[in-house]
Amino acid sequence: MQPEAKMTFLDRFSAMRETQFGAFVPVLLALAAIWGYFGLVLPLIDLMSGEADSFRAIFLSPRNIYNLFMQSAVIATLAVGITIVLLLGDIDLSAAATAGVCAALLGVLVLSGVPGWLACIIVIFVGIVMGAAQGLLIAYVGIPSFVVTLAGLLGYQGLMQKILPTGNLNVGDPFVRGIARVLIPDLWGIVLGLAVVGMFAYANLRKQSRRKTLGLEQDSPLALWSQVIAFAAIVVAVVFTLNAYRSLPLLLVLLVAITALLGWITTSTPYGRSLFAVGGNPESARRVGMKVKRLRVSAFAIVGFMAAIGGIFGASRYGSVSYTAFAGGSLLLEAIGAAVIGGTSLFGGRGSVWNAILGALVIGSLGNGLDLTGASAADKLMVSGAILLLAVAIDALSRPGNGSGR
Amino acid sequence: MTFENTMVGQAAPPAHLAVRGIQKRFGGVHALRGVDFEVARGEVMALVGDNGAGKSTLMKVLAGAHLADDGEFLLDGKPVEMSTPNDATELGIQIVYQDLALCENLDVSANLSLGAEPVKPGWSFLPHLLRPLDDLEMEVKAKKAIDKLEVRTLQSVRAKVGGLSGGQRQAIAIARAVGTESSVVMLDEPTAALGVAQTRQVLEVVKRLRETNHAVVYISHNMRDIFEVSDRITVLRHGSNVATYTTSDTNPDEIVVAMTRGLDTENGNAA
Repeated sequence: MQPEAKMTFLDRFSAMRETQFGAFVPVLLALAAIWGYFGLVLPLIDLMSGEADSFRAIFLSPRNIYNLFMQSAVIATLAVGITIVLLLGDIDLSAAATAGVCAALLGVLVLSGVPGWLACIIVIFVGIVMGAAQGLLIAYVGIPSFVVTLAGLLGYQGLMQKILPTGNLNVGDPFVRGIARVLIPDLWGIVLGLAVVGMFAYANLRKQSRRKTLGLEQDSPLALWSQVIAFAAIVVAVVFTLNAYRSLPLLLVLLVAITALLGWITTSTPYGRSLFAVGGNPESARRVGMKVKRLRVSAFAIVGFMAAIGGIFGASRYGSVSYTAFAGGSLLLEAIGAAVIGGTSLFGGRGSVWNAILGALVIGSLGNGLDLTGASAADKLMVSGAILLLAVAIDALSRPGNGSGR
Repeated sequence: MTFENTMVGQAAPPAHLAVRGIQKRFGGVHALRGVDFEVARGEVMALVGDNGAGKSTLMKVLAGAHLADDGEFLLDGKPVEMSTPNDATELGIQIVYQDLALCENLDVSANLSLGAEPVKPGWSFLPHLLRPLDDLEMEVKAKKAIDKLEVRTLQSVRAKVGGLSGGQRQAIAIARAVGTESSVVMLDEPTAALGVAQTRQVLEVVKRLRETNHAVVYISHNMRDIFEVSDRITVLRHGSNVATYTTSDTNPDEIVVAMTRGLDTENGNAA
């Protein structure tokens, strides 16, 4: 009976993942495991073995959490963008290189005296054009996205080196730096958090009452309220933790706002529905009259947009633009890894931008935690690889009707 | 080729959709050689023929997916233009392909509204693609469509299609075709991949379509299914009509002979 019991566990797991918030559970568990390990288990081991004379939760200190969020922000921005094309069943390998070109261009523009806000707008526009150009090749010429964006990766890396012959440029523009430096005052942060929680609760309750009047099946009140309470707990915990160190940084607010917008577009508009439809069954989407080609181009334009935002965030946070931080480094693979760890399928039709943010936190926490324990770069790479495999394995096992290895 | 179907019973109802003398060539292949076909409201017309007889080509011509080289289309006796799938949709002609074309990653209600999602009113400053979806309206519509076809085994319109049985999927594909104000529904081998119980479920749905006054075109190889649901049977062979039978006046053997050998009446060789 052993294997059968195991099957029912898996079945339950996949049934849970089909629910609205169930998709978050695996990545949240991964995050909790990593935080638990670095934040509680390691300090305890140190304490027992006498290496430390008191319990020091460095990893879970507000200061480290703050840094962790800021470190993960650029990865998260790119991962959110990449999620959009993953939903279609495409991939974008050029996102990090696009971000690099945009950041380099931003640095050169502000150096030559263009005001920061104008430079940001120009750069965002350039990012959208770079993404859309690849999308045009994919949709209308019919080249697989892997090949087009691989070419884009190489080409944009070269372009970034052309823009930045020295490979490095400091960005001192107050507007650009301000994105990462400006902090929302503590009180306003709390008000903002509570407002978001209130809106979430209101939207959920309103939907429930409309369901009742329309005579539709209703969510169980337990599930409804536990969703609202879990959401509220996470928001309040994040705001108070960040307030305990500095304050809510503007960069994170912007990131969450953009993600919320994209999350809303992907789940609640005809446009987003068509993204999922094309990812699930392109032929079916075509037959019901969806403009699949235009959709592809627009999705790649969104990646370009998010890459440009990522470039701006990166330039703002580091105060400089360097080749290795964007195009030449591990940013691309970390961003794709974040999207996949979050539970977005590489084969299209399944995933969410919020999961990409959580996936980015997993990747960021891993790097941060291993740094704190003094692990070598080699260890970090190997552990990251193992986590990525584990995430994809969980995903494959818990998929309903799996077995085809997709 | 005459316009009269020689073997139609006296009670043949007035045609809702009729085509006359349809010709279709693919390069050197003469797929349809002047085919006549008709279907009335509240009737299940089976379309049978051996492989390569032109069933699928005829169906695609009727759905506007292929443009006929020659021939006329009549809807309720009036000639109509049919050159694109959109023309067919506007005339109320819907087709359920064998592969169903459902999105397994979406739930039942999303699949039923795919491509025609209702949006909430009052967001007209946004382009249509970016207006908020009205999911609840979608669920109400889906429930209505499912209830109309009496698909009892379906627990919830919020279930993902990927988790449903083959019969349920077929029923949902049919419900989608019916939901869009259609009068003609064409089903391509709806029971080919199904077990006994699932087949039963789909045949019940087909009967419901007849009761709701749809004109149903039913393409199949399975004589048992055909004799259970159809009212008339059109037999094609080598891209031409063999004959149209009234189901109650014929038997499977006669149909099989007509499919494989034609009528052979000229030779007096009636198998």
